[in-house]
Amino acid sequence: MNDDTPVQTPPTGLITPADFTTFMRNYQDMVFSTAARLTGNDAQAEDISQEVFLKAYEHFDMLQTSPTAGGWLKTVATNLSLNHLSRYRNRWKFFSEYRRDDSAGESETPDVDFAAPDTFFSGVDADERRAWVEAALEKLPEHQRVPLVLYHFEDLPYEDIARKLGVSLAKVKTDILRARTALAAIIARSGAPHENFSA
Amino acid sequence: MKPSPEDLEKFIHQTLRSLPARRAPLSLESRVRAAIEARAALPWWRQSFAAWPVAARVAFLIGSAGIAKLAIMAVVWAMAGFDGALLANAFSTQFAWVQTVSGVFTAIGNFFGTVYRAIPPLWLYGGLAAVAALYAALFGLGATAYRLLYANR
Repeated sequence: MNDDTPVQTPPTGLITPADFTTFMRNYQDMVFSTAARLTGNDAQAEDISQEVFLKAYEHFDMLQTSPTAGGWLKTVATNLSLNHLSRYRNRWKFFSEYRRDDSAGESETPDVDFAAPDTFFSGVDADERRAWVEAALEKLPEHQRVPLVLYHFEDLPYEDIARKLGVSLAKVKTDILRARTALAAIIARSGAPHENFSA
Repeated sequence: MKPSPEDLEKFIHQTLRSLPARRAPLSLESRVRAAIEARAALPWWRQSFAAWPVAARVAFLIGSAGIAKLAIMAVVWAMAGFDGALLANAFSTQFAWVQTVSGVFTAIGNFFGTVYRAIPPLWLYGGLAAVAALYAALFGLGATAYRLLYANR
């Protein structure tokens, strides 16, 4: 569930139940974040979030009293995002994957002291830091970003990720390792004022 | 110093988990409301079957069962000995124009059949192969152009 205070403007002329509006405001940031981090595209994430809440509306009788509503929404958002990505991938695979850049980030293991992000990012304000990391995440190729997000944000084990994505366990582990390396390199290139990356 | 994979995992995990949820666009709420309103405004027969009134659902099921029964009876009747000539005689005056149109199409069909038989098979296969090759070449050119000019942009 969202920890942030909702800032959306009050609704006018609602025909939806007020309870559903409150419900949506409580969870919309979480749903949108899940979809945006998986797809790496805000417009697609908004479409997916809309679809998630329309499904939630259909099951609102059950969800409004359920203590696991957040988990339900997150699962639906994850599944819809993965469906969207696989549909898009299948449609455009032939045209867009001229060469698959599996080596992205491989040769760029940053030399860095990974003691703690707080130390690494000290001197950078929280918003700037968030924007950096989100931008770095978006820059990752899809085959690295998706398993990374499922592992670190959704807490899925490697086996479940492999099953969800229909790839081998070894590939998932390799992609996640490369994603971490690439992410660290991108963050380093972003240029923290005090950073000691030497990528 | 190169970090170990464990240190890297820890660093990335802490970095990612420290991110707050991203703010949903302001337009999301209004879009969802509009979509719900649009759904609610749909007449019942355009909504999902589960949303139909009970009477309509029952009537639909009864009607479907009746149509299925009629279709099965018609098949059984036809299989039991349907006399096509009898039917043609009964409707011959009303549908004389059908015979005229049918005659025209038969003549056209015969013409193309004659032409087809006159062409050596090798020409036909060669023509088909040429069309397939041109199609593949066009598809390949399109894919290459997309990859080079658009996908890498």
